[in-house]
Amino acid sequence: MLHEEALGWVIRTRDPEFADWEAFTDWLEAAPTHASAYDALMVADADLALLVPAEPVTIGTPANDAGEQRRRPIGWIAGGAVAAMLVAALSIGIGRRGDIYTVTTRPGEKRSIALDDGTRIELNGGTTMRLDRNNSRFAALDSGEAAFTVRHDADNPFRVAVGDDLFEDAGTVFNIVRSKGATRIGVSEGKVIYNPKAEAIMLPAGRGLSEDASGVRVMDVAPGSVASWREGRLTYANAPVTQISADIARSLGVELSPTPTAGAMRFTGTIRLEPDPERFFATAAPLMGLSAVRQGGAWLLKEGDDPAR
Amino acid sequence: MATGLSAIFLENRPALLRFLRARGAGEDAEDLLQDMWMKLEAKDLGPVADPLPYLYRMANNLMLDRYRSGTRRARREQDWAEGAGGVMADSSDDTAIDERLILAQRLDEARAVLRSLGPRVELVFRRFRIEGVGQRVIAEELGVSLTTVEKDLQKAYRAMVALKQKLDTE
Repeated sequence: MLHEEALGWVIRTRDPEFADWEAFTDWLEAAPTHASAYDALMVADADLALLVPAEPVTIGTPANDAGEQRRRPIGWIAGGAVAAMLVAALSIGIGRRGDIYTVTTRPGEKRSIALDDGTRIELNGGTTMRLDRNNSRFAALDSGEAAFTVRHDADNPFRVAVGDDLFEDAGTVFNIVRSKGATRIGVSEGKVIYNPKAEAIMLPAGRGLSEDASGVRVMDVAPGSVASWREGRLTYANAPVTQISADIARSLGVELSPTPTAGAMRFTGTIRLEPDPERFFATAAPLMGLSAVRQGGAWLLKEGDDPAR
Repeated sequence: MATGLSAIFLENRPALLRFLRARGAGEDAEDLLQDMWMKLEAKDLGPVADPLPYLYRMANNLMLDRYRSGTRRARREQDWAEGAGGVMADSSDDTAIDERLILAQRLDEARAVLRSLGPRVELVFRRFRIEGVGQRVIAEELGVSLTTVEKDLQKAYRAMVALKQKLDTE
Protein backbone atom coordinates (compact mmCIF):
# COMPACT_ATOMS: atom_id res chain seq x y z
CA MET A 1 0.00 0.00 0.00
CA LEU A 2 2.47 2.59 1.23
CA HIS A 3 5.06 3.60 -1.32
CA GLU A 4 8.20 3.28 0.81
CA GLU A 5 10.51 5.01 -1.66
CA ALA A 6 8.13 7.92 -2.08
CA LEU A 7 7.86 8.23 1.71
CA GLY A 8 11.63 8.37 1.91
CA TRP A 9 11.64 11.27 -0.55
CA VAL A 10 8.82 13.06 1.30
CA ILE A 11 10.90 12.97 4.47
CA ARG A 12 14.09 13.95 2.69
CA THR A 13 12.63 16.87 0.71
CA ARG A 14 10.81 18.11 3.80
CA ASP A 15 14.10 18.54 5.60
CA PRO A 16 15.03 22.23 5.64
CA GLU A 17 18.61 21.26 4.75
CA PHE A 18 17.71 19.06 1.78
CA ALA A 19 19.81 19.95 -1.27
CA ASP A 20 20.13 16.88 -3.52
CA TRP A 21 17.37 17.79 -5.96
CA GLU A 22 19.21 16.13 -8.83
CA ALA A 23 19.00 12.73 -7.15
CA PHE A 24 15.31 13.42 -6.55
CA THR A 25 14.87 14.28 -10.25
CA ASP A 26 16.59 11.00 -11.18
CA TRP A 27 14.21 9.07 -8.97
CA LEU A 28 11.17 10.85 -10.44
CA GLU A 29 12.35 10.08 -13.98
CA ALA A 30 12.84 6.40 -13.16
CA ALA A 31 9.08 5.71 -13.31
CA PRO A 32 6.06 7.84 -14.25
CA THR A 33 4.19 6.63 -11.13
CA HIS A 34 6.79 8.12 -8.79
CA ALA A 35 5.58 11.72 -9.09
CA SER A 36 1.96 10.89 -8.22
CA ALA A 37 2.98 8.61 -5.33
CA TYR A 38 5.09 11.47 -3.99
CA ASP A 39 2.27 14.02 -4.43
CA ALA A 40 -0.24 11.80 -2.64
CA LEU A 41 2.09 11.33 0.32
CA MET A 42 2.98 15.04 0.45
CA VAL A 43 -0.73 15.84 0.73
CA ALA A 44 -1.08 13.27 3.53
CA ASP A 45 1.96 14.86 5.16
CA ALA A 46 0.36 18.30 4.95
CA ASP A 47 -2.65 17.02 6.89
CA LEU A 48 -0.47 15.64 9.67
CA ALA A 49 -0.04 19.16 11.00
CA LEU A 50 -3.76 19.12 11.81
CA LEU A 51 -3.46 15.83 13.65
CA VAL A 52 -0.48 16.69 15.78
CA PRO A 53 -0.76 20.04 17.53
CA ALA A 54 2.47 21.63 18.63
CA GLU A 55 3.59 20.70 22.10
CA PRO A 56 6.82 21.97 23.52
CA VAL A 57 9.49 19.31 23.33
CA THR A 58 12.35 19.45 25.77
CA ILE A 59 15.61 17.86 24.93
CA GLY A 60 18.35 17.07 27.41
CA THR A 61 21.49 18.53 25.96
CA PRO A 62 24.53 16.23 26.19
CA ALA A 63 26.89 17.55 28.86
CA ASN A 64 29.86 17.92 26.50
CA ASP A 65 27.86 19.76 23.90
CA ALA A 66 27.79 23.50 23.31
CA GLY A 67 24.08 23.10 22.69
CA GLU A 68 22.73 26.63 22.67
CA GLN A 69 25.47 28.19 20.61
CA ARG A 70 24.68 25.99 17.66
CA ARG A 71 21.53 27.93 16.89
CA ARG A 72 23.05 30.90 15.12
CA PRO A 73 20.67 33.74 14.34
CA ILE A 74 21.49 33.57 10.62
CA GLY A 75 20.65 29.90 10.48
CA TRP A 76 17.36 30.59 12.19
CA ILE A 77 16.29 33.17 9.75
CA ALA A 78 17.31 31.31 6.60
CA GLY A 79 15.86 28.02 7.87
CA GLY A 80 12.82 29.83 9.13
CA ALA A 81 12.08 31.35 5.76
CA VAL A 82 11.99 27.93 4.17
CA ALA A 83 9.96 26.47 7.01
CA ALA A 84 7.54 29.39 6.82
CA MET A 85 7.15 28.76 3.13
CA LEU A 86 6.33 25.11 3.81
CA VAL A 87 3.96 25.90 6.61
CA ALA A 88 2.16 28.67 4.77
CA ALA A 89 0.31 26.15 2.62
CA LEU A 90 -0.85 24.19 5.64
CA SER A 91 -2.19 26.87 7.93
CA ILE A 92 -5.69 26.17 9.17
CA GLY A 93 -8.53 28.41 10.22
CA ILE A 94 -10.25 26.80 13.17
CA GLY A 95 -11.61 30.04 14.61
CA ARG A 96 -14.86 31.14 13.05
CA ARG A 97 -15.40 34.76 12.18
CA GLY A 98 -18.53 35.32 14.24
CA ASP A 99 -16.85 34.37 17.50
CA ILE A 100 -14.08 36.92 17.32
CA TYR A 101 -14.48 40.10 19.36
CA THR A 102 -12.27 43.11 19.78
CA VAL A 103 -11.13 44.76 23.00
CA THR A 104 -9.54 48.20 22.88
CA THR A 105 -8.13 50.64 25.43
CA ARG A 106 -7.69 54.38 24.97
CA PRO A 107 -4.22 55.83 25.53
CA GLY A 108 -3.69 56.07 29.29
CA GLU A 109 -6.40 53.52 30.02
CA LYS A 110 -5.58 50.10 31.48
CA ARG A 111 -7.77 47.08 31.40
CA SER A 112 -7.57 43.54 32.72
CA ILE A 113 -9.34 40.61 31.09
CA ALA A 114 -9.85 37.23 32.73
CA LEU A 115 -10.35 34.41 30.26
CA ASP A 116 -12.39 31.29 31.02
CA ASP A 117 -9.34 29.12 31.35
CA GLY A 118 -7.77 31.19 34.14
CA THR A 119 -5.48 33.19 31.89
CA ARG A 120 -5.21 36.91 32.62
CA ILE A 121 -4.43 39.54 30.02
CA GLU A 122 -3.60 43.08 31.09
CA LEU A 123 -3.91 45.69 28.37
CA ASN A 124 -1.86 48.85 28.53
CA GLY A 125 -3.23 52.05 26.99
CA GLY A 126 -3.74 52.44 23.23
CA THR A 127 -4.13 48.72 22.64
CA THR A 128 -6.31 46.71 20.26
CA MET A 129 -6.70 43.00 20.78
CA ARG A 130 -8.93 40.35 19.26
CA LEU A 131 -10.19 37.35 21.23
CA ASP A 132 -12.20 34.28 20.33
CA ARG A 133 -15.31 33.44 22.36
CA ASN A 134 -14.99 29.78 21.46
CA ASN A 135 -11.30 29.47 22.03
CA SER A 136 -9.91 30.95 25.22
CA ARG A 137 -6.41 29.81 24.25
CA PHE A 138 -5.96 32.38 21.51
CA ALA A 139 -5.44 36.14 21.27
CA ALA A 140 -4.33 38.46 18.48
CA LEU A 141 -2.49 41.65 19.44
CA ASP A 142 -3.07 44.13 16.62
CA SER A 143 -1.42 47.14 18.22
CA GLY A 144 -0.27 48.37 21.61
CA GLU A 145 0.99 46.44 24.59
CA ALA A 146 -0.30 43.60 26.75
CA ALA A 147 0.98 41.39 29.56
CA PHE A 148 -0.09 37.75 29.60
CA THR A 149 -0.24 35.56 32.69
CA VAL A 150 -1.07 32.22 31.16
CA ARG A 151 -2.45 29.16 32.87
CA HIS A 152 -0.29 26.53 31.25
CA ASP A 153 -1.76 23.48 29.56
CA ALA A 154 0.79 21.42 27.66
CA ASP A 155 -1.94 19.76 25.60
CA ASN A 156 -3.43 23.06 24.56
CA PRO A 157 -0.88 25.85 24.53
CA PHE A 158 -1.94 29.49 24.62
CA ARG A 159 -1.10 31.30 21.38
CA VAL A 160 -0.77 34.99 20.62
CA ALA A 161 -0.75 36.15 17.02
CA VAL A 162 1.08 39.42 16.35
CA GLY A 163 1.02 40.35 12.68
CA ASP A 164 2.43 37.34 10.87
CA ASP A 165 4.15 36.02 13.98
CA LEU A 166 2.93 33.53 16.50
CA PHE A 167 4.01 33.28 20.13
CA GLU A 168 3.19 30.11 21.99
CA ASP A 169 3.36 29.84 25.76
CA ALA A 170 5.04 27.05 27.63
CA GLY A 171 3.97 28.08 31.18
CA THR A 172 4.38 31.74 31.19
CA VAL A 173 4.20 35.39 32.11
CA PHE A 174 5.17 37.58 29.17
CA ASN A 175 4.68 41.02 27.71
CA ILE A 176 4.26 41.94 24.04
CA VAL A 177 4.45 45.36 22.43
CA ARG A 178 3.25 45.87 18.89
CA SER A 179 3.99 49.21 17.29
CA LYS A 180 4.26 50.32 13.70
CA GLY A 181 6.38 47.69 11.96
CA ALA A 182 7.99 46.33 15.11
CA THR A 183 7.20 43.70 17.72
CA ARG A 184 8.91 43.24 21.10
CA ILE A 185 8.40 40.48 23.60
CA GLY A 186 9.88 39.98 27.06
CA VAL A 187 9.45 36.81 29.12
CA SER A 188 9.46 37.00 32.92
CA GLU A 189 8.37 33.47 33.88
CA GLY A 190 8.28 30.13 32.11
CA LYS A 191 8.93 29.97 28.40
CA VAL A 192 7.52 31.25 25.11
CA ILE A 193 8.10 29.81 21.65
CA TYR A 194 8.35 32.31 18.81
CA ASN A 195 6.77 31.05 15.56
CA PRO A 196 6.68 27.39 16.63
CA LYS A 197 6.20 26.19 13.07
CA ALA A 198 8.95 28.26 11.53
CA GLU A 199 11.87 29.71 13.47
CA ALA A 200 10.76 27.95 16.68
CA ILE A 201 12.90 30.16 18.89
CA MET A 202 12.63 29.25 22.57
CA LEU A 203 12.48 32.25 24.86
CA PRO A 204 12.94 31.28 28.52
CA ALA A 205 12.46 33.71 31.41
CA GLY A 206 14.93 36.55 31.15
CA ARG A 207 15.02 36.51 27.36
CA GLY A 208 13.37 38.88 24.96
CA LEU A 209 12.97 39.13 21.22
CA SER A 210 12.46 42.06 18.93
CA GLU A 211 11.47 42.00 15.30
CA ASP A 212 11.42 44.84 12.83
CA ALA A 213 12.39 45.54 9.24
CA SER A 214 16.04 44.78 10.04
CA GLY A 215 15.23 41.27 11.24
CA VAL A 216 14.82 39.26 14.40
CA ARG A 217 17.02 39.79 17.45
CA VAL A 218 17.11 37.86 20.70
CA MET A 219 18.37 39.61 23.82
CA ASP A 220 18.54 39.36 27.59
CA VAL A 221 15.92 41.20 29.64
CA ALA A 222 15.63 41.58 33.40
CA PRO A 223 12.68 39.31 34.32
CA GLY A 224 11.60 41.87 36.94
CA SER A 225 11.37 44.60 34.33
CA VAL A 226 8.97 42.73 32.03
CA ALA A 227 5.55 44.41 32.02
CA SER A 228 6.72 46.73 34.81
CA TRP A 229 4.19 49.28 33.45
CA ARG A 230 1.65 47.37 35.53
CA GLU A 231 3.48 48.54 38.67
CA GLY A 232 3.91 52.07 37.35
CA ARG A 233 7.51 51.64 36.22
CA LEU A 234 9.22 51.45 32.85
CA THR A 235 12.58 49.66 32.94
CA TYR A 236 15.06 49.69 30.08
CA ALA A 237 18.47 48.42 29.12
CA ASN A 238 20.00 50.40 26.26
CA ALA A 239 16.61 51.10 24.66
CA PRO A 240 16.19 53.76 21.96
CA VAL A 241 14.25 56.86 23.02
CA THR A 242 11.77 56.38 20.14
CA GLN A 243 10.66 53.14 21.78
CA ILE A 244 10.56 54.71 25.26
CA SER A 245 8.46 57.65 24.11
CA ALA A 246 5.96 55.27 22.49
CA ASP A 247 5.76 53.39 25.81
CA ILE A 248 5.25 56.62 27.76
CA ALA A 249 2.56 57.84 25.35
CA ARG A 250 0.70 54.56 25.73
CA SER A 251 1.01 54.41 29.49
CA LEU A 252 0.18 58.04 30.28
CA GLY A 253 -2.22 58.76 27.44
CA VAL A 254 -0.27 61.74 26.15
CA GLU A 255 0.82 62.60 22.66
CA LEU A 256 4.59 62.48 22.67
CA SER A 257 7.28 62.55 20.01
CA PRO A 258 11.06 62.87 20.18
CA THR A 259 13.17 65.01 17.86
CA PRO A 260 15.21 62.81 15.47
CA THR A 261 18.39 63.36 17.48
CA ALA A 262 16.68 62.64 20.81
CA GLY A 263 14.90 59.62 19.33
CA ALA A 264 18.17 58.01 18.34
CA MET A 265 19.60 58.31 21.86
CA ARG A 266 19.56 55.33 24.19
CA PHE A 267 18.64 54.96 27.83
CA THR A 268 19.29 52.43 30.56
CA GLY A 269 17.38 52.66 33.84
CA THR A 270 13.95 52.82 35.45
CA ILE A 271 11.42 55.58 34.94
CA ARG A 272 8.63 55.96 37.48
CA LEU A 273 5.28 56.65 35.87
CA GLU A 274 3.24 59.51 37.26
CA PRO A 275 -0.28 60.37 36.08
CA ASP A 276 0.33 64.11 35.86
CA PRO A 277 2.38 64.70 32.67
CA GLU A 278 3.85 67.97 33.95
CA ARG A 279 5.31 66.33 37.03
CA PHE A 280 6.23 63.18 35.16
CA PHE A 281 8.35 64.91 32.53
CA ALA A 282 9.96 67.18 35.14
CA THR A 283 11.76 64.14 36.58
CA ALA A 284 11.71 61.64 33.70
CA ALA A 285 13.17 63.84 30.95
CA PRO A 286 16.36 64.87 32.84
CA LEU A 287 16.78 61.22 33.82
CA MET A 288 17.18 60.42 30.13
CA GLY A 289 19.39 63.45 29.57
CA LEU A 290 16.57 65.09 27.65
CA SER A 291 14.09 67.86 28.11
CA ALA A 292 10.36 67.86 27.46
CA VAL A 293 8.45 70.81 26.10
CA ARG A 294 4.73 71.21 25.80
CA GLN A 295 3.43 72.11 22.35
CA GLY A 296 -0.29 72.65 22.53
CA GLY A 297 -1.78 69.31 23.55
CA ALA A 298 1.35 67.35 22.72
CA TRP A 299 4.79 66.90 24.20
CA LEU A 300 8.16 67.02 22.49
CA LEU A 301 11.28 65.30 23.81
CA LYS A 302 14.49 67.02 22.78
CA GLU A 303 18.17 66.68 23.44
CA GLY A 304 19.78 68.64 26.27
CA ASP A 305 18.29 68.81 29.76
CA ASP A 306 17.77 72.53 29.80
CA PRO A 307 14.22 73.21 28.61
CA ALA A 308 14.98 76.87 28.02
CA ARG A 309 17.63 76.21 25.38
CA MET B 1 14.92 40.45 -7.03
CA ALA B 2 18.40 39.68 -5.80
CA THR B 3 20.57 39.62 -8.91
CA GLY B 4 22.33 36.50 -7.60
CA LEU B 5 19.08 34.58 -7.60
CA SER B 6 18.16 35.58 -11.16
CA ALA B 7 21.61 34.59 -12.43
CA ILE B 8 21.29 31.23 -10.73
CA PHE B 9 17.81 30.79 -12.14
CA LEU B 10 19.05 31.37 -15.68
CA GLU B 11 22.10 29.18 -15.19
CA ASN B 12 19.99 26.28 -13.94
CA ARG B 13 16.99 26.75 -16.18
CA PRO B 14 17.54 23.42 -18.03
CA ALA B 15 17.89 21.49 -14.77
CA LEU B 16 14.74 23.12 -13.32
CA LEU B 17 12.86 22.37 -16.53
CA ARG B 18 13.96 18.75 -16.34
CA PHE B 19 12.83 18.63 -12.72
CA LEU B 20 9.38 20.08 -13.48
CA ARG B 21 8.90 17.58 -16.33
CA ALA B 22 9.95 14.67 -14.11
CA ARG B 23 7.61 16.02 -11.46
CA GLY B 24 4.72 15.55 -13.90
CA ALA B 25 4.31 19.04 -15.38
CA GLY B 26 4.48 17.68 -18.94
CA GLU B 27 3.85 20.36 -21.56
CA ASP B 28 3.19 23.00 -18.89
CA ALA B 29 6.76 22.84 -17.59
CA GLU B 30 7.84 25.89 -19.64
CA ASP B 31 4.84 27.90 -18.45
CA LEU B 32 5.47 26.98 -14.84
CA LEU B 33 9.06 28.07 -15.17
CA GLN B 34 7.80 31.36 -16.57
CA ASP B 35 5.45 31.70 -13.54
CA MET B 36 8.40 31.12 -11.26
CA TRP B 37 10.38 33.79 -13.01
CA MET B 38 7.51 36.28 -12.64
CA LYS B 39 7.18 35.46 -8.96
CA LEU B 40 10.90 35.96 -8.43
CA GLU B 41 10.73 39.27 -10.26
CA ALA B 42 7.68 40.40 -8.32
CA LYS B 43 9.03 40.04 -4.83
CA ASP B 44 12.19 41.41 -3.43
CA LEU B 45 13.60 38.38 -1.71
CA GLY B 46 16.87 39.76 -0.52
CA PRO B 47 19.78 37.40 -0.14
CA VAL B 48 18.85 33.72 0.01
CA ALA B 49 21.23 31.39 1.82
CA ASP B 50 21.11 28.46 -0.63
CA PRO B 51 19.71 29.83 -3.88
CA LEU B 52 19.55 26.65 -5.97
CA PRO B 53 17.77 24.47 -3.39
CA TYR B 54 15.48 27.44 -2.82
CA LEU B 55 14.52 27.51 -6.51
CA TYR B 56 13.96 23.76 -6.59
CA ARG B 57 11.79 23.99 -3.50
CA MET B 58 9.78 26.75 -5.10
CA ALA B 59 9.25 24.57 -8.20
CA ASN B 60 8.30 21.62 -6.01
CA ASN B 61 5.74 23.75 -4.13
CA LEU B 62 4.25 24.94 -7.43
CA MET B 63 3.70 21.32 -8.44
CA LEU B 64 2.17 20.51 -5.06
CA ASP B 65 -0.27 23.41 -5.37
CA ARG B 66 -1.18 22.18 -8.83
CA TYR B 67 -1.76 18.66 -7.57
CA ARG B 68 -3.87 19.92 -4.67
CA SER B 69 -6.11 22.16 -6.76
CA GLY B 70 -6.46 19.29 -9.25
CA THR B 71 -7.72 16.84 -6.62
CA ARG B 72 -9.94 19.51 -5.07
CA ARG B 73 -11.57 20.23 -8.42
CA ALA B 74 -12.10 16.50 -9.04
CA ARG B 75 -13.78 16.15 -5.63
CA ARG B 76 -16.03 19.17 -6.22
CA GLU B 77 -17.11 17.83 -9.58
CA GLN B 78 -17.88 14.47 -8.02
CA ASP B 79 -19.90 16.09 -5.21
CA TRP B 80 -21.78 18.05 -7.80
CA ALA B 81 -22.50 14.96 -9.89
CA GLU B 82 -23.74 13.09 -6.84
CA GLY B 83 -25.91 16.15 -6.18
CA ALA B 84 -26.58 15.95 -2.43
CA GLY B 85 -30.31 16.76 -2.64
CA GLY B 86 -29.58 19.36 -5.27
CA VAL B 87 -28.18 21.72 -2.63
CA MET B 88 -24.56 22.70 -2.66
CA ALA B 89 -23.90 22.73 1.05
CA ASP B 90 -21.01 24.86 2.22
CA SER B 91 -19.49 22.28 4.48
CA SER B 92 -17.34 24.84 6.26
CA ASP B 93 -20.11 26.71 8.05
CA ASP B 94 -22.76 24.61 9.76
CA THR B 95 -20.65 21.78 11.08
CA ALA B 96 -18.67 23.77 13.60
CA ILE B 97 -19.55 21.78 16.71
CA ASP B 98 -19.39 18.32 15.15
CA GLU B 99 -16.13 19.22 13.52
CA ARG B 100 -14.70 20.34 16.81
CA LEU B 101 -15.67 17.10 18.53
CA ILE B 102 -14.29 15.00 15.72
CA LEU B 103 -11.13 17.05 15.63
CA ALA B 104 -10.65 16.60 19.38
CA GLN B 105 -11.11 12.82 19.06
CA ARG B 106 -8.67 12.68 16.19
CA LEU B 107 -6.09 14.66 18.09
CA ASP B 108 -6.38 12.23 21.00
CA GLU B 109 -6.02 9.29 18.68
CA ALA B 110 -3.00 10.77 16.93
CA ARG B 111 -1.39 11.54 20.26
CA ALA B 112 -1.93 7.95 21.41
CA VAL B 113 -0.42 6.54 18.21
CA LEU B 114 2.62 8.78 18.50
CA ARG B 115 3.05 7.93 22.15
CA SER B 116 2.90 4.20 21.42
CA LEU B 117 5.99 4.52 19.21
CA GLY B 118 8.16 5.45 22.17
CA PRO B 119 9.43 8.78 23.46
CA ARG B 120 12.40 9.16 21.11
CA VAL B 121 10.38 8.47 17.96
CA GLU B 122 7.68 10.88 19.13
CA LEU B 123 10.21 13.54 19.94
CA VAL B 124 12.02 13.15 16.61
CA PHE B 125 8.76 13.34 14.71
CA ARG B 126 7.50 16.40 16.56
CA ARG B 127 10.81 18.19 16.21
CA PHE B 128 10.98 17.43 12.49
CA ARG B 129 7.41 17.65 11.32
CA ILE B 130 5.83 20.16 13.72
CA GLU B 131 8.77 22.38 14.60
CA GLY B 132 10.52 22.16 11.23
CA VAL B 133 13.96 21.20 12.54
CA GLY B 134 16.25 19.29 10.15
CA GLN B 135 17.36 15.71 10.71
CA ARG B 136 21.04 16.55 11.10
CA VAL B 137 20.29 19.06 13.87
CA ILE B 138 17.95 16.60 15.63
CA ALA B 139 20.65 13.91 15.53
CA GLU B 140 23.10 16.36 17.11
CA GLU B 141 20.61 17.41 19.76
CA LEU B 142 19.89 13.84 20.76
CA GLY B 143 23.43 12.60 20.37
CA VAL B 144 22.35 9.78 18.02
CA SER B 145 23.32 8.95 14.44
CA LEU B 146 21.58 10.45 11.43
CA THR B 147 20.49 6.92 10.41
CA THR B 148 18.70 6.52 13.74
CA VAL B 149 16.81 9.76 13.17
CA GLU B 150 15.91 8.70 9.63
CA LYS B 151 14.60 5.34 10.84
CA ASP B 152 12.62 6.95 13.66
CA LEU B 153 11.03 9.35 11.19
CA GLN B 154 10.08 6.60 8.77
CA LYS B 155 8.52 4.65 11.60
CA ALA B 156 6.53 7.66 12.80
CA TYR B 157 5.48 8.62 9.29
CA ARG B 158 4.29 5.08 8.47
CA ALA B 159 2.14 5.06 11.61
CA MET B 160 0.78 8.55 11.07
CA VAL B 161 -0.01 8.09 7.38
CA ALA B 162 -1.77 4.80 8.23
CA LEU B 163 -3.79 6.60 10.90
CA LYS B 164 -4.64 9.36 8.47
CA GLN B 165 -5.89 6.84 5.88
CA LYS B 166 -7.95 5.10 8.54
CA LEU B 167 -9.52 8.41 9.66
CA ASP B 168 -10.26 9.40 6.07
CA THR B 169 -12.28 6.24 5.47
CA GLU B 170 -14.25 6.52 8.74
